[in-house]
Amino acid sequence: MSRPDAARICFENVEQRFRVVRERPDTLREAFAHLFRNQTSYHSFQALKGVSFSIGDGDAMGIVGRNGSGKSTLLKIIAGVYRPTSGQIRVVGKVAPLIELGAGFHGDLTGRENIVLNGLLLGLSKKEIRNREGQILDFAELGDFIDSPVKQYSSGMYMRLAFAVATAVDPNILLIDEILAVGDEAFQQKCLVRINDFRARGKTIVFVSHSAEAVCNLCNRALLLHEGMILADDTPRRVVEKYAEVIHNAEAVSK
Amino acid sequence: MWQLLRETQKNRELIWALALKDLQVRYKRSALGFLWALLNPLFTMIILTVVFSTLMRVAIPYYPIFIISTLLPWTFFAQSLSYAADSIVANGELLKKVYVAKSVFPMAAVLSNLINFTFSLIPLMALLVLFRFPFHWTWIYLPIPLFGLFLFALGCSFFFSMANVFFRDMAHILQVILPAWFYLSPIIFSLDLLPQKYRLLFRLNPMLYLLNGFRLAIYYGLLPSPQSAAASLAVGAAALFLGYRLFSRYQNSLVFYV
Repeated sequence: MSRPDAARICFENVEQRFRVVRERPDTLREAFAHLFRNQTSYHSFQALKGVSFSIGDGDAMGIVGRNGSGKSTLLKIIAGVYRPTSGQIRVVGKVAPLIELGAGFHGDLTGRENIVLNGLLLGLSKKEIRNREGQILDFAELGDFIDSPVKQYSSGMYMRLAFAVATAVDPNILLIDEILAVGDEAFQQKCLVRINDFRARGKTIVFVSHSAEAVCNLCNRALLLHEGMILADDTPRRVVEKYAEVIHNAEAVSK
Repeated sequence: MWQLLRETQKNRELIWALALKDLQVRYKRSALGFLWALLNPLFTMIILTVVFSTLMRVAIPYYPIFIISTLLPWTFFAQSLSYAADSIVANGELLKKVYVAKSVFPMAAVLSNLINFTFSLIPLMALLVLFRFPFHWTWIYLPIPLFGLFLFALGCSFFFSMANVFFRDMAHILQVILPAWFYLSPIIFSLDLLPQKYRLLFRLNPMLYLLNGFRLAIYYGLLPSPQSAAASLAVGAAALFLGYRLFSRYQNSLVFYV
């Protein structure tokens, strides 16, 4: 395990609270109405309750947990999308989020135009994108479609292009959220090869998945999140066992 | 303010690409494509000309050009705001997934309309030729009032793009404010045509200072006084300062509301 001071990602007692609104005052009229009725229409939902861990260089950290346990929130904090409500975080280096591929693609633009726009959104410069275009095209295997609007793409083509752009960022930290659940086997295989290549080059990976097998194959460490807290921080094998227990207990309760 | 400059410098390629995408998407499916950026203002000018030189006679000579000299910059301002107000809400899904500096979206909206404005000067020139209206050398002064108006549009855009996330009414309110503001601004009239008692009131409108330089340079062939030029830049800078202050105060919570 890595020492915290050498860590790529370090969370210290991180909490994330959301205001979950029952009826959010979306318009001014509603806002006024709420003002006069003086009722709070939201309650606070705590997605993360004091989470601490650190991930070092070259670690591949799997994160497992049931739906709503805070996995995606955690990834979004690492990606910089959310600012935590309290606690300290440190993330060193370039982060590439593979969270819902193709966010930021524009249907009316061609594949080639989207490569540039998406690359810029992910923090690349124009020059870097030009240098990597060949590599992106190789991976995406779009043929003549590269100059057609992406709304005409099959979902497979769309995914390949999005994955190719996202991984071309050459990040220090790669965040992966369930993306391998989509796409056919050939695509998944291709992605795995590239992810393993990242590992071999000593990059840090954070991998969210429901698949125990994928976590064990890919990761050298794992976290089990449960209701916003870390239940286990151990080898993937042990964490996956514990996760099975949690699911089993939950099912027993619901019966 | 420094943060805004740093962010802009860092994201300048992205802002450009987003602005160009705006224009590209705006004209993409149309047969004439980007020509519309020229045709649209041209047709507006033709309509104004027909109305005011045949149907309604106004005592001001070359009245269509009198209007157009301030109508074009006004349109740049109004459209920037309309585009910017939606810019963050429209990119909400993206902002929930990837970290992107939020300021790039309103900036791209203003920039794309600035490009549009620049193109609209071409049909204006054509119209001047058609009217045999003198082409004044004071045109070269235009970048200065344009810069003032650009800063002002940017400041307002920051405010409305942010406010519209919290209250979706803002985009609709804007569509009411803009026409009202249009008639309160010296576009179809000028200040000296108003009764004395109202002039003071109209002097409170920042648009007066922002549009003044355009009409002087294009229609009258005059340069504004240094005070008037300074006023337009000061009004623009103040709006940007205020708008960005509000924007940066709330920008980190935007993602929870889009």
